[in-house]
Amino acid sequence: MADPVVLETTRPAPRSIGRSALLTLPLLLWALLMFSHAVDLRENAGRAAALLTCAFMVALFFLMVRTRRTYRWRRVFFVALGVLFPIGFIAQLYALRGSMSIPVERMLSGDTPFCFLAIPMLIVPAALTRTVIFPGSILPTASNPHSVATMIAVWFAATLVLGKAWCAFGCFFGGIEEGFAALPRKAKLRDLPPRLRWVPWSVLAAVVLLSAATFEPTYCMWLCPFKAVTEFPEVRSAQTAIQFAIFGMLFGGLVVVMPLLTRLRTQCTLLCPFGAFQSLFNKLTVFDVRIDRSRCTDCVACRRACPTLVLDEAAVTAGGPGISCMKCGACVDSCTKQAAVWHVKGTPIAARPETARLLFLYPAWSFATLFGGSIIAGSLAQLLRPLLH
Amino acid sequence: MLGNLAEPALLGFSSGLVCLAACGPVVLPWLAAAGEGGRGTARLLAQFLGGRLVGYLGFASLAWAIGLALPLPARTNAFAYGLVHIALAIALLVFAVPARRRPEPCARLSIFRRATTRSGFLAPVLLGFLTGLNLCPPFVAAGVRAAERHSLPGALAFFLLFFAGTLVWFLPYLGSALLRRLPAVPTVARYTAALVAVYYLLLGGLTLGGAWLHG
Repeated sequence: MADPVVLETTRPAPRSIGRSALLTLPLLLWALLMFSHAVDLRENAGRAAALLTCAFMVALFFLMVRTRRTYRWRRVFFVALGVLFPIGFIAQLYALRGSMSIPVERMLSGDTPFCFLAIPMLIVPAALTRTVIFPGSILPTASNPHSVATMIAVWFAATLVLGKAWCAFGCFFGGIEEGFAALPRKAKLRDLPPRLRWVPWSVLAAVVLLSAATFEPTYCMWLCPFKAVTEFPEVRSAQTAIQFAIFGMLFGGLVVVMPLLTRLRTQCTLLCPFGAFQSLFNKLTVFDVRIDRSRCTDCVACRRACPTLVLDEAAVTAGGPGISCMKCGACVDSCTKQAAVWHVKGTPIAARPETARLLFLYPAWSFATLFGGSIIAGSLAQLLRPLLH
Repeated sequence: MLGNLAEPALLGFSSGLVCLAACGPVVLPWLAAAGEGGRGTARLLAQFLGGRLVGYLGFASLAWAIGLALPLPARTNAFAYGLVHIALAIALLVFAVPARRRPEPCARLSIFRRATTRSGFLAPVLLGFLTGLNLCPPFVAAGVRAAERHSLPGALAFFLLFFAGTLVWFLPYLGSALLRRLPAVPTVARYTAALVAVYYLLLGGLTLGGAWLHG
């Protein structure tokens, strides 16, 4: 008779400081390279912002390496991104045109900043008619630095490597609701109907089809909650008033109230079509999260920790969260039996999960530093300018 | 003679891509929600296209009768556009709700049941008819040319050939039968139909409201 398997229930010991520092060194070099270009270093505010952000990103990576935990430190970065992005963006809008609202004339002249949420809606019209249906500019201009080509290039490169991890390491909107979800100690509302997980796929299908039919980015026109804290069409008619009301209600409901009640990222779980679209690219990446069934005791800690309802009973039984996982690390960090593990496709499950985690974290954190870090630095520079001018 | 036949067919063929995109939000969720195989999907698509043809011919008769070559008042256009969108939205909303979850009084009416059961032919025909009445640009262009015909049969023939020209573009929709391998697709498709319905309802309401307020 074989010996019973003794499950390890303690958490792994922290890495030594020296080894952690050595593993952090490549990220330090990358961050120094990035922040020497991300902001205007000729002014004091730019230099201070670059230095602070560089230290912030490197320190968080060091802590991830040392503590062997991902979710907690990633969340600090992500919430900072969610708080600082709207501040910097709104300040930039006021500097460019003195208002958060954009008049239709400016939209027609291609001055709308391009956002990655519009990408799924561009594909069908572009394929059928070689037309970009977003009222932005293809290349950066003085009046619109957020161009279509730049954003698509960044998104494409990151998506090929990270897949849906974009939603956990790059999406500056996700940080807002993750911040609200982190505030309460306990969820007041639990057990949302699992079939609601399909709603983002329906929103994706609806906006892709309607955008192809109407030649306008339907989601941006009618459904984007984040218009309420970034930019919205100037209210001049009943239609724009209704649009603004919808943006406000969706933001209040799905980004503020529901995360406070459920401790979930409810906008990502129940609405975001871009998240559903990104799920398709999870097939391309080599990194995923798996459940080692030989260690799992069905304690449901991972299901409770998952912020997007991706892990349900069927997923745990099947040995992994499937294509909708955004690789935030919440389930892995919550598992006391070390059954939820980081994994490189093609290798045995739980063979070397810490190596798999580090292999994932290097590109993920490099991207977070490049993309989110530069947004944080830009916003910090805006905030520090009056103080350090 | 050949030119007379070729013009509407070519107009339909050259603008069929727009028809494909314009009908997509209605027909694709409908076909995916039905969860039929290749043959069943082809039957549903044929019924939808039949309804669309009826819509086209009805519009051709109207266009010829009132002479659409002369521009209609903007308010009339807006009312027609708004009403068609609202009717389409209601039909989509009804079909988005599974039969077992419909309110009891609706479920009891046999006419309603026949019209809205997925296997029945009335549902795709009605959706096709209402989609056929949508005033997309190539459709309006065909309407204007049909109105210039000297006789009603001429106008009807023009629209029939225009319709035939667009048909080839609908073949890719048969590929929706492949989606039935995914168990979540009918649910996703029903939610999608409901979302599209809300969009059309909003659009129709805004158009009607605008026409009513501003004339």
